[in-house]
Amino acid sequence: MSMHRLIRSELLKLTSTKMPVAFLAVLVVIAALNAFAVISGTDMDGSKAFIATEADQQSLMAFAFNAFLGSGLFGAIAVAREYGHHTVVPTFLASPRRHRAVLAQLLAVAAGGAVLSLIGNALTVIALAVALPATEYGFLVSVGHVTQVVAASAFAGAAGAVLGAGIGSIVRNVGGAVTLAVFTFMVAPPLVVQLASGTAPWMPANLANVISGTVDDVSQPAAVAALVVWAAVPAAIGLLTVQRRDVV
Amino acid sequence: MSAPTTYHVPSTPTGPSLGESRAGYALEVDHVTKRYGATTVVDDLSFIVPPGRVTGFLGPNGSGKSTTMKIMLDLAAADAGAARIGGSRYRDLPDPARTVGAIVESDAFHPGRSGRNHLRILAAATGIPATRVDEVLEQVGLAGAADRRAGAYSLGMRQRLGLAAALLGEPPVLILDEPGNGLDPQGIRTLRDLLRAHAADGGTVLVSSHLLAEVEHLADDVIVINDGRLVTHGVLAELQQAASFVRTDEPGRLADLLEQAGATTRADGATGLVVRGLSTAEIGERAFTSGIVLHELSPHGGSLEELFLTWTADTSATEEVIEL
Repeated sequence: MSMHRLIRSELLKLTSTKMPVAFLAVLVVIAALNAFAVISGTDMDGSKAFIATEADQQSLMAFAFNAFLGSGLFGAIAVAREYGHHTVVPTFLASPRRHRAVLAQLLAVAAGGAVLSLIGNALTVIALAVALPATEYGFLVSVGHVTQVVAASAFAGAAGAVLGAGIGSIVRNVGGAVTLAVFTFMVAPPLVVQLASGTAPWMPANLANVISGTVDDVSQPAAVAALVVWAAVPAAIGLLTVQRRDVV
Repeated sequence: MSAPTTYHVPSTPTGPSLGESRAGYALEVDHVTKRYGATTVVDDLSFIVPPGRVTGFLGPNGSGKSTTMKIMLDLAAADAGAARIGGSRYRDLPDPARTVGAIVESDAFHPGRSGRNHLRILAAATGIPATRVDEVLEQVGLAGAADRRAGAYSLGMRQRLGLAAALLGEPPVLILDEPGNGLDPQGIRTLRDLLRAHAADGGTVLVSSHLLAEVEHLADDVIVINDGRLVTHGVLAELQQAASFVRTDEPGRLADLLEQAGATTRADGATGLVVRGLSTAEIGERAFTSGIVLHELSPHGGSLEELFLTWTADTSATEEVIEL
């Protein structure tokens, strides 16, 4: 059984329901809200200082943590529903060596997360480009920085999707998987930072900003590696769990 | 019933030898035991399903049929023993999806996905040409609804979709868990014809069902389990004839006597007994030795339902020897 076939099958699974369309709709709404904020929003002093410099605008368009979070939910739902609806049964019948099926699923979900994140960030950039002429400021972000921000989103999206997929394969229930994903992304990091303040730079939100080029308290290679670890740990636990678990 | 410890497996009637070709895959369950916590759901279960025949797999709810099928398909791990298909474990088959077609879960599809897309996904995973999807949809009578969401399908249509998935790879082996549930009479007839033709072509068919009347029409052989243990296994037609009817004025005394000798008995009217597990000759000899007058002693044919209830009523029963 070739991995190519399994990955193609998993990609077909992702694209043959309305879930990607729902996520795309959310991305359009986020971009529209960004445009509205640029046109209508002000700082506390009534100025538009939040879009006055290239760094400000880059920060505004940095989408990597949104991508990590959104793709995490995407991965958790995409995988948990396959277990919940038992569609994993024919997959395991086609590939009884389950690690191959799980790896194919992780790769497909990572690709899906990356593409959705890329689209989401592109929509945000376009929204800013459309909205800024309505203000006194022009589009100040260089092509290089736009590229970095978008690439960071795609990477964070892939990593988040893999993390979510790992959670989905462990929990198998969509509601439970989404709850655990939200806990992992939103609740656990602040708690960990409260317990050990030195860990703050290694939390996903900060790592996403580092790879987007908006903060630099961790080196970019280290941030990339840390996000990979965040994704790989639940994915590895999921892989081991699926191999040992009966399909009941 | 006493507990003879052997059972006879019918010889392979039409198919090539085990593992020899597409048509020669026998299924072997070899002393399989499966426990979930303190509960033993499959208990030292052994049987062989030969190619070229349709084998019905029967047992009450919770008797271990589905678990046994999952173990055969490597979806569940046995705590002891092994299941083999054509001599290999499922996971070791060179091309499992083209060797075995299975229905394990009746709802194994995403409700938001069309029937056609469900099959396209399976075809993509196994390298089966997409044109085959249309063929099986036509074969199971689902072509007209192929692009509708599977979640909107009736139970019968879902079963047809499951059957289409099982047939997708044109496999020589079919392992089907309750494929007839929810099918209308036409669907039942189609299923029966399809499985009979598959076996006639040398394929191996193991099918579990609660529709005993349908199994009676469909199966050549039956395997009956209860509480995870083998109750009986043999050629259905011979099992149906493996009982005797006795009429006597002392049915209670005769029943006690025969049950002590390992038979199972069931009252039939005020003076009648249906006896299984002893030949008519043995029954006659034991009655004579005990001085019980018999007014009638004859072979008794029973419906599968009657047999099933007899086999599964006594959970202490183990295996029944059927001389074939």
